[in-house]
Amino acid sequence: MMTGILYIMFVSKNFKVTFFFCLLAFISFLFSDFSISSLEPMLELKKFFFALFEINISTLPSLFPAILRTVCIAVLALFFSSFFGFILALFYENVFIRTFLSFIRAIHELFWALIFLQIFGLNVLTALLALILPFSAIFAKVYFEILEEHDVFDKQLRGKNILSYYFYSKVPDAFSPLLSYTLYRFECALRSSAILGFVGITTLGYYLSSSFNQAYYNEVWLLLLMFYALIASIKLWFNKYSFLFIFFFSFYYLGDFGSLSFSNLIRFISVDIIPYPIKASLSFEDGSLWFYRFFSNEIVPGLFNTILLTQVALVLTGAMTLLVFPFISYKFSNIYVRFLSHIVLIVFRSSPEYILAYLFLQIFGPSFLPAALALMLHNGSILAFLIGKQANALEYRLDFSSSKISLYAYETLPRLYSSFLSFLFYRWEIIMRESAILGMLGLATLGFFIDSAIADFRLDKMMILLILTAFLNIVIDNISKRVSRYLKSDTEIKRCY
Amino acid sequence: MAFLLEDENFSYSNTLVLKNINLKINKGEKLALLGKSGSGKSSLLKHLFEKQKNNVSYIPQDLSLINKLSVFHNIFMSRLDNHSSIYNLINLFFPFKKEVNEIKILLKALDLEDKIFENVSTLSGGQKQRVAILRAKFNAKRILLADEPVSSLDEYLAKKVLEDFFNTYDTVICTLHNVSYAIEYFDRVIGLKDGEIIINKACSELSNDDRNTLYYVCE
Repeated sequence: MMTGILYIMFVSKNFKVTFFFCLLAFISFLFSDFSISSLEPMLELKKFFFALFEINISTLPSLFPAILRTVCIAVLALFFSSFFGFILALFYENVFIRTFLSFIRAIHELFWALIFLQIFGLNVLTALLALILPFSAIFAKVYFEILEEHDVFDKQLRGKNILSYYFYSKVPDAFSPLLSYTLYRFECALRSSAILGFVGITTLGYYLSSSFNQAYYNEVWLLLLMFYALIASIKLWFNKYSFLFIFFFSFYYLGDFGSLSFSNLIRFISVDIIPYPIKASLSFEDGSLWFYRFFSNEIVPGLFNTILLTQVALVLTGAMTLLVFPFISYKFSNIYVRFLSHIVLIVFRSSPEYILAYLFLQIFGPSFLPAALALMLHNGSILAFLIGKQANALEYRLDFSSSKISLYAYETLPRLYSSFLSFLFYRWEIIMRESAILGMLGLATLGFFIDSAIADFRLDKMMILLILTAFLNIVIDNISKRVSRYLKSDTEIKRCY
Repeated sequence: MAFLLEDENFSYSNTLVLKNINLKINKGEKLALLGKSGSGKSSLLKHLFEKQKNNVSYIPQDLSLINKLSVFHNIFMSRLDNHSSIYNLINLFFPFKKEVNEIKILLKALDLEDKIFENVSTLSGGQKQRVAILRAKFNAKRILLADEPVSSLDEYLAKKVLEDFFNTYDTVICTLHNVSYAIEYFDRVIGLKDGEIIINKACSELSNDDRNTLYYVCE
């Protein structure tokens, strides 16, 4: 009979999965570049940190437009995507719609922004469409799941007018979870709207990157602090009383949305994205050569690096979660530690990974390190918060050990480990989407090759790479579901925020 | 004749819940189904519902009320099929006066008039049961199938509701666990045990033994 560590190693499914993913991350680590390439990272870090004490409040008014545009774009995007998401949720059972939406969802909003930039140019319309498309697809999925959970009305009493019964029975019953999910998404919309600045839309990210490039670190801090204050105070300024006002104000403030150019759209679909060998009527040999070069120089390294970064970041996220959650649980920490840890977690949770990665990149120079660090801090904060909450709800035996380490290792971790893994695998697909996009900062993941393809105006390559990114995302989503099924976790995670 | 079942079986999730049921129910009859929980009476009721869907008003045991909606909207729901989707949607947000007045009259009869725009979740068990009863009545068909419709009501209201059933519907079929209500108000009682009919008699023909058996199957 196997006992102790042998039992755990060979029998426990949780251990097998953990071991396998750690091994994968280790191998990925060996193949990736985690070097610090900036000459004096500590000096830069110091400069950045001390700039916090040099904040100049008088520059605040000049930064207001950045915040206002970020909010207005997020509000309009939230409104339209929740509306479309609700309608699409009605048809979500249809397999074609479901597949189509998972494809739309798998492409990050920054990539959508890059596509629409080519068609409609740098304007509000591009920003809105870039957010509305993936957000509608996410809303459709989650609204559908929430509505499914709230199917309480007796089938025998249901009549023929399906739409009326839907609005009288399912919708009112599911209304509060629908609303709270929509409000939660507003926080995400703010984050996404902010990072659209990195492709040129004049939201927070735009100001942030220009302040950074000029080494105005105090301005960077001011922008970040304003953003955190904005997110922390959402409930105060975004509610049922203020919504209509903010909604109409957003229309008024954004003013010029740009125009919908159909000729550009037609050109984009019928010329720009048609693969070069077809467009130029190349011979089969020349076409194959074009594809071979594209495949070996861009597709393979892009996919490979994206997967490497994803796997390392996934395990780092898990490690951070397990290390940090005791600091926010009252079972392990006193009120002061908990308060401080909560603030740190909220800051990292509210910071979009893209902005974190951008900051670290300036400090450490381009390598996988800043990207993995950003992914770990953002996702680890979200998961540590969730697992910490679960730890608080645990009931220990009356005679439990007074040693915190024993309490952690014997009483807490074994009971939370399954749900920890489910949450982690739920974030896997999100981490992959982010790993791809972080390439736009200069790492050789898929985003890098997509960005370069756009810079060279090779939109055909951009399209192929985007489709591959979406495909990889869908594959990871499916593997993650299979792993969860293999682990047979009793808590089915549908939403993780 | 309202229903005719001949040697019928009824399974639920691969388990046989009703066995060799032979039952004739005439129009205008008042029929009480008695039995312990799990005896098959709710299944029999559902089976009857399937046979005459369009002519039947149905009150399920779990009431199937929408907790987040008002009493008014829950009652109005039984007429959703009589109106267009647009009419129903407008009525969800801005109730039409005509509908409100009609529902107010119904509520008055069961002492619920002041609750018309209250959320169902705020009501007591008995009040919820009355709302479910009125929802059926708002679109009353010729036949009523009701699963334990008066279980949460006091004697006064229970009698009032049962009498109202007999005035509103031609044929009334109720599952009950109260044997005295069944004998006092209904024409015929059916006793079920383990999915089989063990008593099927007019109330006037029940012997003392039968009554004892009924009390026994309901305990």
